[in-house]
Amino acid sequence: MEKFLLRNTENPNSADIEEYIKTGGYKNISKAFELQPSDIIEEVKKSGLRGRGGAGFPTFMKWSFASADKKFPKYLICNADEGEPGTFKDRPILEKNPHLLIEGMIISGYALKAEYGYIYLRGEYPYAYDVMNQAVRDAYDKGYLGDNILGKNIKFNLVVHLGAGAYICGEETALLDSLEGRRGLPRNKPPFPVNAGAWGMPTIVNNVETLANIPHIIEIGADAYSKIGFPDCPGPKLYCVSGHVEKPGVFELPMGISLREIIYDYAGGTKNGKKLKAVFPGGISAPVLPADSIDCAMDFVSLPKAGSMLGSAAVMVMDETVCMVKIAHRAMKFFERESCGKCTPCREGTEWLRKILERIENGRGRNEDISLLTDISNNIFGKSFCALGDGAAGVMKSILKHFRAEFEEHIKEKRCRFKQKD
Amino acid sequence: MITLTINGKKVVVPVGATILEAALQNGIEIPNLCYDKRLSPYGACRLCVVEVEGQKKLLAACSTPVTEGMEVKTETPKLFKARQTVLELLLVHHPLDCPVCDKAGECKLQDLAFKYCSTKSRFKGEKKHELVDTGSPIVERNSNRCILCGKCVRVCGELQGVGAINLLGRGFASKISPAFEETLDCEFCGQCIDACPVGALGSKPYKYSSRAWFLEAHDNICPYCGVGCTVTYDIRDGKIIRAKGIEGKGINEGNLCVKGRFGFDFIYSKTRLKTPLIKEGDGFKSASWEEALNHIAKKLKAIKDANGADAIGAIGSPRCTVEDNFMLRKFMKDVIGSDNIDSSARFGYAKIQRAVEMSFGLESLPVDFNSPLGKEAILIIESDITSTHPVWGLNFLKAQRKGSFLITADTRETKLTRHSSQWLRLKPGTGTALLNGIIKIAFDEGLYDKEKASRISGLSFLSDGVKDYTSKKVSDITGISEDIFINTAKRFLKAGSRLISLTIGTSEDTKGLNTALAAANLLLLIGEGPASLQMPAEYCNTFGMWHQGLRQGRSGRDIISMLYGEDTVKALYIMGENPAVTFPDASTVDKALRGLDFLVVQDIMLTETAKLADVVLPAASWAEKDGTFICAEGIEQKVQKISQTEGEPVPDWQILRNLSRAMGFEVGAKDISALQDEINEIKTAERTAETIFNPVEYIPGEVPDADYPLTMITGNLMQHSGALSVMSRSLSHVLADAFLQISNADAEKYNVRDEGFVKVASRRGSVMVKARISDEVPQGSVFLPVHFPHAKINTLTHLSLNGEAPLSAVKIEAVK
Repeated sequence: MEKFLLRNTENPNSADIEEYIKTGGYKNISKAFELQPSDIIEEVKKSGLRGRGGAGFPTFMKWSFASADKKFPKYLICNADEGEPGTFKDRPILEKNPHLLIEGMIISGYALKAEYGYIYLRGEYPYAYDVMNQAVRDAYDKGYLGDNILGKNIKFNLVVHLGAGAYICGEETALLDSLEGRRGLPRNKPPFPVNAGAWGMPTIVNNVETLANIPHIIEIGADAYSKIGFPDCPGPKLYCVSGHVEKPGVFELPMGISLREIIYDYAGGTKNGKKLKAVFPGGISAPVLPADSIDCAMDFVSLPKAGSMLGSAAVMVMDETVCMVKIAHRAMKFFERESCGKCTPCREGTEWLRKILERIENGRGRNEDISLLTDISNNIFGKSFCALGDGAAGVMKSILKHFRAEFEEHIKEKRCRFKQKD
Repeated sequence: MITLTINGKKVVVPVGATILEAALQNGIEIPNLCYDKRLSPYGACRLCVVEVEGQKKLLAACSTPVTEGMEVKTETPKLFKARQTVLELLLVHHPLDCPVCDKAGECKLQDLAFKYCSTKSRFKGEKKHELVDTGSPIVERNSNRCILCGKCVRVCGELQGVGAINLLGRGFASKISPAFEETLDCEFCGQCIDACPVGALGSKPYKYSSRAWFLEAHDNICPYCGVGCTVTYDIRDGKIIRAKGIEGKGINEGNLCVKGRFGFDFIYSKTRLKTPLIKEGDGFKSASWEEALNHIAKKLKAIKDANGADAIGAIGSPRCTVEDNFMLRKFMKDVIGSDNIDSSARFGYAKIQRAVEMSFGLESLPVDFNSPLGKEAILIIESDITSTHPVWGLNFLKAQRKGSFLITADTRETKLTRHSSQWLRLKPGTGTALLNGIIKIAFDEGLYDKEKASRISGLSFLSDGVKDYTSKKVSDITGISEDIFINTAKRFLKAGSRLISLTIGTSEDTKGLNTALAAANLLLLIGEGPASLQMPAEYCNTFGMWHQGLRQGRSGRDIISMLYGEDTVKALYIMGENPAVTFPDASTVDKALRGLDFLVVQDIMLTETAKLADVVLPAASWAEKDGTFICAEGIEQKVQKISQTEGEPVPDWQILRNLSRAMGFEVGAKDISALQDEINEIKTAERTAETIFNPVEYIPGEVPDADYPLTMITGNLMQHSGALSVMSRSLSHVLADAFLQISNADAEKYNVRDEGFVKVASRRGSVMVKARISDEVPQGSVFLPVHFPHAKINTLTHLSLNGEAPLSAVKIEAVK
């Protein structure tokens, strides 16, 4: 497939504005400016683009809600807080193709009548921060950003804001709090950010990859775009593969490709040909899939049917040497650490999940522990303030569902058999 | 309106209500720990989860808006389980030190655990071991008991506009703390204590003084400012040991400031008068009531016989009840036969009242507690409302938060300036010039209500009167840049609804009659009515005292003639006032008081004034008598005897009645209800309101010069009120000493060290105070709070009679 999101990224100078322009960059801005803002939103609607951040919410819907709000100024915010474990799909865009993102934001800003944009960048991406800042400066110098873009009296100003390393700030309302200079805590919804977001104004928060798709839609038109990949949620998709595979990396593939193809055709199969055990198809917040489920298509529609979700499309592959209790423990350690502390079920629940898993893994598990894990998960799932708790509980429940025997074995034998093999 | 079903019961609630609000309005309880009516929904504790038909997830009732036809269930086995688990998890780390926790018996966690939890827990975890923050003066924080509901953080930030505490850390390690885990240092309103559902925040004065179930709660009205808050006092053994606000109660709807919450203890001061005292040599001797009253009767008669009734005067008190002041006036009129009666309101509220009469032709203009809400533009002229009327001040902050354009014109940085949409940092006392300048812009730009204004007499005088107040001149006088002044003025004039608020108090020196008149002129010109000018009465009963006629009678003398003139009175009867401390130009007052032939002071303590008296009579405090206060909103509220007295204090009105009897007059008032009936029969004359423009000039106060180069601003602190609050032990723990606030630049110029002593001198006298270097005051101005008797700040001040701001010029000298 022809690459679009990662176009020209093999070129070591791909982040350079001149290189970007040479390969056809920024020409979609002029094309977009000839359209009415509402026409662009219509194009995005026809394209069928769905948000690439994890939930897969139709992009045009978010855009229409924000456009319908009469309050000004409006803000366009790029969520580049790529903190989901195993996820590094936005990173090549931010580090190697920054102007694609800027171009996407300029067009989106024009379509949404938002004159101010922010890129909320993950705190642990210092290199991307430098690259993005340089790119923004260059774009200003070339007249692509500013108060009078291309002499067309169109205004769009862009600021790169570096986060401080909290996972929760990838949640869009917590991101807004953090951007405003507060402690990053998820906000109550409603009001939704499209009506009352940054500084109380209508705000559109889109993922890096979502915004990077916009120039492509303008370039080839909504009709052609909607024919790429899976019809219900079309477009090119970045899949980032890690874990026990021969060739980990980011792959730009049409949406809806099967998990098997990703692992075996693109990532070179399992490392040293070992037996596949389990896969997290969409980051650590997406329920785990056992080895026999990998024929599932990787898109926003098919994965939920298979009991998981696409999430951030971070494919984490685990082979037969992996202890699933340890995986669960490692995951809960992460959620415990990153829980913002606002709501009781998540703050206290994740801590207990971690503690109980720790004792099972260390051979001190008790018979009632499996039911306790289930009970705590059930009391987080659907009862926490934001999706962080749901993610933690969902993953815990999925691991228990598919690998319950392993937990029972740990408790019964009072040891972890994977440990001794090392 | 929206109709929904809760537990099978159909209820109708307003659009926008949450499920929890709908339930509470209909008497259905849903358990919660983080909900507070005054705050925006937070949704953290997850106890208020409910089941909604058609929704897979459980929804948090506190943050889910109701929709038409919604079917809600609040008590199901599934919900019971969810709540039980939340509580079980919260209890794991909680110290469960209920036997030594002040909150026990009124603790929400305790009550909910009682309802939902079993005696066994499936979890065994470590208890928290944080150090208890005992370092701050009156609030103690024990974060081991904290359940992280965040109410204190939100009350402090969202409601109080302070933000002294926040959550630190993340997830399980979250804790509530001041920045950098320092000791709490805030305005000590204590709102967080009332908000805390558990025992994590407590009142230090109350600590370990009682179990909650031994307390008897009584509502009463706060004795401090004019807002008239309802305070719930907890009584044990006849003594108030704690004050709290109860959600939704009173004008204040349960909000209290530091004075209201902690300041009640002045009535238990060791210095309370217990028996009447009669001067003997340099000191006093205790006397019986009979002896004292007969002594006074004899003396007053003698003075009246020798010099006539006009030689006797009386000063009433805005802190005493309507009944007390009524009785004082009656005593003066019927027993002494004199109209020489006045109060400290002469220096403050009288100016407001005069402006109201002159501009609007109204007998009185009470303020409206909710007036700031919903106004498009609000202009506050040199008034620190969050200090003088703290709970009312919250509504200004709230208005700003909800979208009002709040303009604060003030020299000093205050809580209001920090929350303003536009802060105009003007030179002290130049508010009149600012207002005149805005009026001129309104004329020049046609931004006034031509039709309404033309119907008011004096329009052409007004336009002539402000002719000279060009933006350039206003900028020169006020020090505000011309651009900012013009833009702000236009923003105010073009707003759809407008409000001006200012206070004029006994201890404030940046505003005078002219300021109030200029504000009235501006509002009338732009078509606003009297209600858009909000000038609150100062103290708990200033309004009531004034409108019960405790002021200079037609043929009588006012305070100025009684105390400051060449020909002062010979005898003075002072009830609940401390002129030696609170009146301007203290040296003159002191001289006048010492020159009296006979001085009677009835008060709760031996004040600076009482020390000069010939007879001192112990009066009952506000909590030891029945009576009435009328607050700044013009609302009559009853105060009750809720505390027992030590010694022999008697309510002021009763002392005066007894004295009348001792002087051979029967004045009625056999008991409080007879007296109240008599007061109720008096009809105040209605006046036909006539609005008039009263053009005024900006007259500078005392202008700084080479000898006295600094402008002194006097005013109030949030933690104190007049000279009353300094008798409170709790409030004195927060602030007990006068200070001079000075800018860094001036401190350098005059060699002043932070916390070093300085001598401050005006043309009338000098005082010694500690200096505090602060950027809250700009170069060229210094600020001095007036509350502290020992500092005698009023030695520096002067009387002002010409409508100008009574500012004083001072010089300072660092003391080695």
